[in-house]
Amino acid sequence: MKQSLGHRLFIWTGVAVLLIWSLGPIYWTLASSVTPAEDFSARPIHFLPQRFTLDHFSRLLGIDLARIGGVEVWAQFRSALLNSIVTSIAATVLCVAISALGAYAFTRLTFPGRRFLFGAVVATLAIPAYAVLIPLYQIMISLRLVDTYLGVALIYVSAYLPLSLWLLRSVFEALPLSLEEAAQLDGAGRLYIFFKIVLPLAGPGLTAAAILTFLGAWGQYLVPLIFSPNVTKPLTVLIPEFVTKNFIDYGLITASGSIAIIIPALVVIFLNRYLVSGLLAGSVK
Amino acid sequence: MASVSVTNVRKSYGHVEVLHGVGIEIEDGEFVILVGPSGCGKSTLLRMIAGLEDISGGDIAIGGKVVNEVAPKHRDIAMVFQSYALYPHMTVEANMGFSLRLAKAPKNEIQQRVRDAARILGLENLLDRYPRNLSGGQRQRVAMGRAIVRQPQVFLFDEPLSNLDAKLRVQMRSEIKQLHQRLRTTTVYVTHDQVEAMTMADRIVVMRDGYVEQIGSPLDLYDRPDNLFVASFIGSPGMNLIRGHISTDGPVEFIAADGGRMPLPGKVDLERGAEVVYGLRPEHVTIGEGGVDAEVILIEPTGAETQIVCRIGAENVVVALRDRIAVSAGDTLSLIPDLGKLHLFDGITGRRL
Ligand SMILES: Nc1ncnc2c1ncn2[C@@H]1O[C@H](COP(=O)(O)OP(=O)(O)O)[C@@H](O)[C@H]1O
Ligand SMILES: [Mg+2]
Repeated sequence: MKQSLGHRLFIWTGVAVLLIWSLGPIYWTLASSVTPAEDFSARPIHFLPQRFTLDHFSRLLGIDLARIGGVEVWAQFRSALLNSIVTSIAATVLCVAISALGAYAFTRLTFPGRRFLFGAVVATLAIPAYAVLIPLYQIMISLRLVDTYLGVALIYVSAYLPLSLWLLRSVFEALPLSLEEAAQLDGAGRLYIFFKIVLPLAGPGLTAAAILTFLGAWGQYLVPLIFSPNVTKPLTVLIPEFVTKNFIDYGLITASGSIAIIIPALVVIFLNRYLVSGLLAGSVK
Repeated sequence: MASVSVTNVRKSYGHVEVLHGVGIEIEDGEFVILVGPSGCGKSTLLRMIAGLEDISGGDIAIGGKVVNEVAPKHRDIAMVFQSYALYPHMTVEANMGFSLRLAKAPKNEIQQRVRDAARILGLENLLDRYPRNLSGGQRQRVAMGRAIVRQPQVFLFDEPLSNLDAKLRVQMRSEIKQLHQRLRTTTVYVTHDQVEAMTMADRIVVMRDGYVEQIGSPLDLYDRPDNLFVASFIGSPGMNLIRGHISTDGPVEFIAADGGRMPLPGKVDLERGAEVVYGLRPEHVTIGEGGVDAEVILIEPTGAETQIVCRIGAENVVVALRDRIAVSAGDTLSLIPDLGKLHLFDGITGRRL
């Protein structure tokens, strides 16, 4: 079918607007991170950096500080980066593991209250985090979990579990029951079937759940602001601290922001390979 | 190998009963086919034998031992699913060896048995492939291979050929039958296709709406259907069934609802005026002098035989002739029913008279 010029123009305009809308801020962050500090206040604003520098990254990563006479932020940045990575990965692994088991139980086991329980868990998606923040804080204090990896990861898990559970349940429901029945007749038990038949076939679903959880945990701000004040402080909480009363360090903010963008992007690119569907082809009809 | 006995088995889903007391005795080594229209409960019964469905009432015994409460994996049965249910992430070899690996059989034994099964089924060159790289017929063979590798007490098949094209279906039909003749494993096979049932089974169980209508060898069912349902279900083209009654006076004759008259065998002992159904297979009619007049409506040559649809009074009757005769639509034929092979059914209960 040949589309009219107007029609195509319309589509391309839409695509362009969307691209600028979503990629614009990212581009600005990346561009600013290699712009010398003096140029930040230059007017008019240039779309392309006029001069190129890696000074901000040097400061951030603590390389050759003597030359630029910068502040020592590397230690803070390193620990925040590490904290972000550790809590996000821990939350992802825990969340996917728990929701996979849970979703399988909700799909294939019959027990009283199954639908109600599932509904209740998923309904917690509708509860805004700030509504439960204070009671949660009290609970975490009494469990001595504030400012610990475990504590933060568990909060993330509770935040993303319902979504992941819901997603994985529909993934498991779509798997042909006859495969599991065949395995049952072949002598496999429930857990064996789960690990050797169901999980390998649910790869794309598990990957999607992992990506959602990782990205969600990576971008959390409010929760770590309260629950990760010091030793487990992640990037999201550290970066705004480069804004002080008298000085906004655009260089550090955009350099650390760039790194904070690149890591989840790498994770998504890496996991994307496992999102391929069509794994089931040829098993049933 | 083992016998399977199904005694007064019932199955309900919620308040709906779908099997109403089914009883079947299957002997050791027998090939039994459950046949019936879609939705009559064949798969449900098969799955109950497999242990995939709970038994709401009655008993199922395998090898003389009641297995109602025995888990599927301890029943020593293998099932071939309609959808094949091959594990998509495993090679053909891994699919076939799955149960043996689970049972922790020695590696070389697994390999040996998988190779043997593959040889029987002509799968030797496909062992490294994944199910997605196989054709429909090959997948079907792998599914069977997975079953025979187990060397189970009983094979269960649920419409295994329904996803294949017509030609392959005929071929697989004879392969499955040969396989059974070779292995002699008790087999319960479900199909809705009466031709499949007739050609493969030692005995056929005809089911309808959760009841067993008749159990017998293929030729039993063909020669002596117990009731109208079996009479109409078995045989292709189907038996001609004409409603009417026995003449109330004059010579003993069958009088169709529209008034047409058909001859009856001399020895019949039927009440005058009784409502009956006159059943005549298309192949049990010849053409000759002094028969019943019929107008030719349609001629369908199949090569081996010629099927002629004709009309006696207001009734359509199909006649299958071995001889090729020169007739055309609108001609009148004189049909002579083979009275020795006539079937009469009670017009009210549908039972054979
Ligand atoms: N899980 C189920 N829940 C409720 N009804 C079912 C279920 N499975 C089968 N049935 C019903 O039981 C009857 C028999 O089904 P089935 O054994 O699959 O028939 P067949 O294999 O002879 O076509 C059908 O009326 C079907 O609707
Ligand atoms: Mg069925």
